[in-house]
Amino acid sequence: MLAVFLLYSSIAGGGTPSLRPSSLAGHTGKVSLTGYVLKPVTGDAHGAGLHFRLRDVKGTATVPVVYTGSVPDLFRPGRDIVVEGRFQNGVFVAVPGTMVTKCPSKYTPKKT
Amino acid sequence: MPELGRAALVVCFGLALYAVGAGFWGAHTRRRRLALSAQNALVAAFLSAAVAAGVLLVALITSDFSFTYVSAFTSRELPLTYKITALWGGQEGSLLLWLLVLTGYGAAAVLLDRKAGRELIAWVVPVLGVVAAFFSMLVVFVASPFATHAAPADGLGLNTSLQSPYMQAHPPLLYLGYVGLTVPFAFAMGALLSGRTDERWIVATRRWTLAAWMFLGIGQLLGAKWAYEEVGWGGYYAWDPVENAALMPWLAATAFLHSVMVQEKKGMLKVWNMLLVILAFSLSLFGTFLTRSGVLSSIHSFTEGSIGPWFLGFICFVVAGSLALLFRRLPLLRSKTKLESLVSREATFLYNNLLLVALCLTILWGVTFPILSEAVRGESVTVGRPYYDFFLRSFGLPLLLLMGIGPLVAWRRASLRSLGRTFLWPFAFGLVAGGGLVAAGAGSSLPGLIAYTFAAFVTATIVLEFARGTAARRALAGEPVPRAFASLVARNRRRYGGYVVHAAIVLLAIGVAGSSAYDTSHTARLAKGQSLKVRDYTLVYRDLRRTRAQNAVETRATIDVYRGGDRIAVMHPGKNNYPVEQQISNEVAIRSDWLTGEDLFLITEQVNPNGTIDFKAIINPLVNLIWLAGVVFLLGSVVTLWPDAREERRLAVRYGRLAPET
Repeated sequence: MLAVFLLYSSIAGGGTPSLRPSSLAGHTGKVSLTGYVLKPVTGDAHGAGLHFRLRDVKGTATVPVVYTGSVPDLFRPGRDIVVEGRFQNGVFVAVPGTMVTKCPSKYTPKKT
Repeated sequence: MPELGRAALVVCFGLALYAVGAGFWGAHTRRRRLALSAQNALVAAFLSAAVAAGVLLVALITSDFSFTYVSAFTSRELPLTYKITALWGGQEGSLLLWLLVLTGYGAAAVLLDRKAGRELIAWVVPVLGVVAAFFSMLVVFVASPFATHAAPADGLGLNTSLQSPYMQAHPPLLYLGYVGLTVPFAFAMGALLSGRTDERWIVATRRWTLAAWMFLGIGQLLGAKWAYEEVGWGGYYAWDPVENAALMPWLAATAFLHSVMVQEKKGMLKVWNMLLVILAFSLSLFGTFLTRSGVLSSIHSFTEGSIGPWFLGFICFVVAGSLALLFRRLPLLRSKTKLESLVSREATFLYNNLLLVALCLTILWGVTFPILSEAVRGESVTVGRPYYDFFLRSFGLPLLLLMGIGPLVAWRRASLRSLGRTFLWPFAFGLVAGGGLVAAGAGSSLPGLIAYTFAAFVTATIVLEFARGTAARRALAGEPVPRAFASLVARNRRRYGGYVVHAAIVLLAIGVAGSSAYDTSHTARLAKGQSLKVRDYTLVYRDLRRTRAQNAVETRATIDVYRGGDRIAVMHPGKNNYPVEQQISNEVAIRSDWLTGEDLFLITEQVNPNGTIDFKAIINPLVNLIWLAGVVFLLGSVVTLWPDAREERRLAVRYGRLAPET
């Protein structure tokens, strides 16, 4: 069983790095990017692509993102999302249909 | 009122601490009265937890928004049932429910299982007390459900996607499962502490483990059903950390349920069983921790709460403490017998255990990989679906095959000739089914084909077992077939209930393989009147309507579904827009074909300003077998759990001293 495990790890590699917009530079392979959606969101996810910028959840670095495919219900500026894709020529090109929204705020309202 | 709740929790905490202190001291010095008082403290702790839960429940029902918790998770117009289920809608309430279930289980177990022996129970009580003390400490000092504030005019309401009947039942069932694993753990630790490391703790906790395992299984299936209908991406399981968190203890408990049979029959695997029960309980704590701490990114990230470090500390304490104890008692746990042959019932149980534990640990590795890689490489790396799918196939398919083999192989050692006789027909049936499936075009997915062939083989063995048993009974007692069948099951509930559960797992495997290996999906942008072809279905987009409901604007498309020239259905997928919650939710349309178990699943991905819609249509073959599997699983578990006077007598004879002491 250990053999099966090692076999898989050696063939398939170690999975997808999870990055923030600020740590994206230098990564050319497939990564998963977590960030905070900034206004404005333009374009068409089922056409030429949805365009928006992602910012570090805690930080200021941003990156432009192009996304196509299913958009989760909870997607909107001001939410945190995770999306997979590749960083190419200064733009993060997402793998279609990989967007996942995170919404901690809905479950535990921020205490004021 | 909040004062009463708070006081009840403080009392509960105090009683739990007393159960720990008095319990340990009483057991250590063999003072019966002290041990008994610790036991009573545990029962009283349950009562005070019940009072606290009652206070919160009343506040929820009467919409007393001066309770922070009530205003955070309910609103005035929320239907009553959701006000009640908001008890586990948030962290503080969930922890209170944990505590209530835990003390309830604990009190019931020590009261009902007294015949397991006074000395064992005396040591079980303080272990249960430690866990209860931890949880009551959390609700008293860290996350109090009875925090108050100036009452707002209305509450914030419940997340709209949680307003579903499945979500009412799913969390408490999971808790019943998670928490239920505390009982076998406490008995195992009690056995180690008292030095009574025979099979008593296993016999005493068999039903508790089974019940916890059943709740965990059903709870997960309900969660999957909820995801399928409510979240609406076309699937039911996404290997999300929180889903995995519930699957891991279930796998460990499955392994445990099997390996204890070997210990009961042959006195082997004693250390292994201890390890499994420690693993299962630690994983159930870990599961609660994952759900509640926000360490990992997950669609379930409920909160980035303050209880994370506490949980981590407690898990470390449990693992380190129980392993140290196990190590100290190792000399007591030597097996009297050895594995005689690699082809025997014991051996197949061992293979089954290794596969289950391997699957469980690879999932654990995948879940914790982002944290581990962050710590080691400074960069968080997640593993995705391919990783989990790979291991599910590599370990799951052999498990499926073993499920057909294991129950029919003789204990100790099996001869090749008897094996041939037993498996000739099932083997032939599996081969024929596999051949037929290739002819029918199922060869497009190799794992799918293997899963189906194995499933056919296992089904044949199960049917054959029931048929042989019934025939034997008929010959023996001269009963007609239905009667013989009923008395067969009634006389061997564990065995035949087990077969029914196996049949459920076969159904589950067929459903999972069918819907994941042979699904078809298609997306298209349609204007009114245009159509989309998906396999043998033709979908025509007719109309789009918006209506105002009580708390949402509902957009629904009208889709005519044709197959073979006939209109077989009209479906209405759409979206709901909740203005108050500022939330849009996809409302998928599902058409189940009950004859083939196939679902046509329609999603309106995007409604465009010009009236066109981007549709996604998915065909999920056999997916309904998964839900059917849930029903069969429940049936089999209940058959196995049902009280059995005959078995009780057998056990009483075997453990002569087990009879209730007066």
